[in-house]
Amino acid sequence: MTQLAGPADGLFAALLEAAPDAMVCIAADGRVALVNAQAERLFGYQREELIGQPVEILVPDAARAVHPGHRAGYVADPRHRPMGASRPLAGRRRDASTFPAEISLSAIDTGEGILVAAAIRDVTVQLRVRDLERSSQSLESFIYSVSHDLRAPLRALSGYSGALLEDYGGILGEEGRGYAERIVAASEQMTQLIDYLLQLSRLSRAELHLQPVDLGGEAARIAEELQHREPARHVRFAIEKPVQVLADRRLIRTVLQNLLDNAWKFTSGRDDASIEFGTAPSEDAAVCCYVRDNGAGFDPAYAGKLFQPFQRLHAAHDFPGTGTGTGLASVRQIVERHGGRVWAEGAVGAGATFYFTLDGKESA
Amino acid sequence: MTSQTIVLVEDNPDDEALTLRAFKKSDIRNEVVVLRDGAEALAYLFPSNGDTVPHPALILLDLNLPKVGGLEVLRRMRADERTQMIPVVVLTSSKLDEDILDSYRNGANAYVRKPVSYSDFAEAVRTLGVFWLLLNEPVPSPAPESD
Repeated sequence: MTQLAGPADGLFAALLEAAPDAMVCIAADGRVALVNAQAERLFGYQREELIGQPVEILVPDAARAVHPGHRAGYVADPRHRPMGASRPLAGRRRDASTFPAEISLSAIDTGEGILVAAAIRDVTVQLRVRDLERSSQSLESFIYSVSHDLRAPLRALSGYSGALLEDYGGILGEEGRGYAERIVAASEQMTQLIDYLLQLSRLSRAELHLQPVDLGGEAARIAEELQHREPARHVRFAIEKPVQVLADRRLIRTVLQNLLDNAWKFTSGRDDASIEFGTAPSEDAAVCCYVRDNGAGFDPAYAGKLFQPFQRLHAAHDFPGTGTGTGLASVRQIVERHGGRVWAEGAVGAGATFYFTLDGKESA
Repeated sequence: MTSQTIVLVEDNPDDEALTLRAFKKSDIRNEVVVLRDGAEALAYLFPSNGDTVPHPALILLDLNLPKVGGLEVLRRMRADERTQMIPVVVLTSSKLDEDILDSYRNGANAYVRKPVSYSDFAEAVRTLGVFWLLLNEPVPSPAPESD
């Protein structure tokens, strides 16, 4: 039987080598008749070391004793099927280490007896991915339930300090009202932080729906909305159009919204405010965009902190409406999900430029 | 036989008191029946002693309830023609897409996420009351029965 492995079976041997999985063919006596190169690599043997050996040398010690029985059972009823459908399988390498495996069996009638062909796949990576997916799902549901459960007591904090203010404001006096107002404000801030946490955990897992997007068109729309919201302000916008990219429209719009919101906010002290959206040459990315303003700018020493969550470089009283310090952290998260990176240049009083790159450029 | 009663299904006493206070502050003086879990809600809506099924003007339904969840209450209401048309507004902390979809699929008339902010919460309750009790045209009462 082992002679079947001979070079005469050229076609069969070629097919065997072409198979993507490790293949081990076993003769009726349970000895290895044929293996392919993938099997040599997977198990760490040279094929000469395997041919003629009982197949049990590839079976982990724990299962070795029962294996001949299973093998005889298969030969008695040789249908193509996955092996050990109900229990996890493993293979044993030459160095006695083991790996989780998926094995499917089929029988080949050679005319001189039955050969059992086993296709063996190392599923270590698949199992690890599955574990990771599970743990990231449970992390997400943990974050969700935490943020959900935290909202109820916050509602009570905000609600009852608000009720105090409304119903007993007179008795509380000015100082007392100030304290109650701080409770209201703090619980609202915490709500925003919780929402951000939730958003961040979603962002990190959200599937990207890539489609062609004109970033210039989106920027122009956002600029219009900003102008509409504060018609009294005079801001000169210069927006390059079109800037065609491949991106998740909803997410990339959040990026532009955050950057343009910031530019709008931090130019509020200037009569000659100007905000620019455009592209810059890039060596390492398909497209590099920037949002530039001539507003308050920032101290370059803190440039690295800009994109960290909950960091603010400007005191809230200087720029009313300053958020929770999460906008730029979201920008970074989204850009990185798109395979790009973000950075900022600026100086105090000399405006700021925020750059981001994206991987995919849609040729116009 | 629509009454002017508002039913509040809410297990959190803080939220309950805030909601009642918001009604009071908005001059919504309707009777409010508070039910503190899904089983209480079902017992109220489907009395076992043969009493007629109540027909409140509005049900504010939390989703995350002890014993029987809000969605199950909604499902049972929509499966019974006596309670099928009672306006149900889901009022909950969740903004999970699944919860919103499940609520609409099961026949919720509206879905409102409880705002954390005191003033937003009061305003949401006031708006709901004004809309459902004053602005919205209720389901017409069936022809008077023989009694």
